[in-house]
Amino acid sequence: MNADAQLMEHMMNPKNYGEMEDSDAIGMGKNPQNGEKVAIYIKVEEENEPIIKDISFQAIGCTTTIVAGSIITSEAKGLTFTRAKELISVTLGMLDNIPPEDAACSEMVALALQASIDTYIERQKDRDFPMISYIIKTDCTPKEEERRDENTI
Amino acid sequence: MKILFKEVHELFLATQFAGFMSKSRNRQELYEFANIFFKHFTWLENDFIKNGITYNYNINQIPIKVTKLSQMLNNIIQRIESIEDKLSSCRDGDITHRMQSDFNYIKLVLQNMEDEDVSSSFDTKRDYLDIKLSNEARDALTLFLFEESYKEYELIMVYNYSKANSSDAFLNRIFQILIDESFFHLRSFGQMMSEMGILAVPRSIMEEVYKFNDLKQFLKNGIAEEIGAKEECKKLANTISSSSEYFASFFTFINNQENYHIALMEEALNYINRL
Repeated sequence: MNADAQLMEHMMNPKNYGEMEDSDAIGMGKNPQNGEKVAIYIKVEEENEPIIKDISFQAIGCTTTIVAGSIITSEAKGLTFTRAKELISVTLGMLDNIPPEDAACSEMVALALQASIDTYIERQKDRDFPMISYIIKTDCTPKEEERRDENTI
Repeated sequence: MKILFKEVHELFLATQFAGFMSKSRNRQELYEFANIFFKHFTWLENDFIKNGITYNYNINQIPIKVTKLSQMLNNIIQRIESIEDKLSSCRDGDITHRMQSDFNYIKLVLQNMEDEDVSSSFDTKRDYLDIKLSNEARDALTLFLFEESYKEYELIMVYNYSKANSSDAFLNRIFQILIDESFFHLRSFGQMMSEMGILAVPRSIMEEVYKFNDLKQFLKNGIAEEIGAKEECKKLANTISSSSEYFASFFTFINNQENYHIALMEEALNYINRL
């Protein structure tokens, strides 16, 4: 399967999509610019360190967000928190190399994953700790539109 | 009864998308059955509302990738049988009697439907009939169809929820027209996705999308979204106009239809402002 075929597969059959009723924690990533958001649900197993036993996501967002959610949650499933944080860090580190509208979607998913982990950690100290939400930093306006706006009198 | 409701919702989608796969007269029959299942869905929803029971539109993912239509028809029959086992969870005997009667007939028709090879609905070739599309046009069209097929499904469900939970005849007339319009668009886009080999059922909708508190704000946002959709159609028509006159004309047609949706939403907004 080539990259295009994989992308089509994530578009047609997004992995891990949907609400998880018995999740241990939920985290949210938000884009205040357009109201898009991603919720990530995790089920955690405590061994030597916490492991993401199961994961799912839901989104109010575009197809790129769904593809990013499908890919990132597939990669995060089964990871320890340490490895999951590495995955988040690698994802956030790649944002400069992709178009801003795509970068914003990936950032939103990565931050939702971070928020779900942080919510879980806080819930170990306080069971009623509310869901954590993080807001993305990437401006999702396509560069072409930015340039056009700058030139508009 | 909540499981029954969810399964009827999934049955409606499975049947509607089986209709998109078919290229024979089966298509129209499957469309009609999807309409009937959607009607069942609204009956159950009204029963929830009548009894003050909270509910949502959550569904599981619906796998539809098959090579033969008969596989999908068998899946639909299995779904119906699973629903039949749960009909007693709805206490309104009139509703379940009508549903059972519909199921008896529909199962018989499905069992005797002529089989078709539908593998091309999922082959991801992304060709449309004999129209030559540039790579840019093909990518733009693919993304548009995924975005908009979800959007139309979302709109059907949002307006359906609003209609079910409102007793205002004026608003409900507008909601019903918008539901019908979105069905038309969903069917247009679904058929195109099937033709291009990228057919897929839209994802489940987050509750907060349809359970909103401020109808006025929802309509304002809806108008802004329709204007955005018009722009997308215009952009797409421009991108693919060099590849296909047919597509350019189709998306100009869809673009102009959005004007009607905007007018309807403005009508609803003006009405609310006068209340």
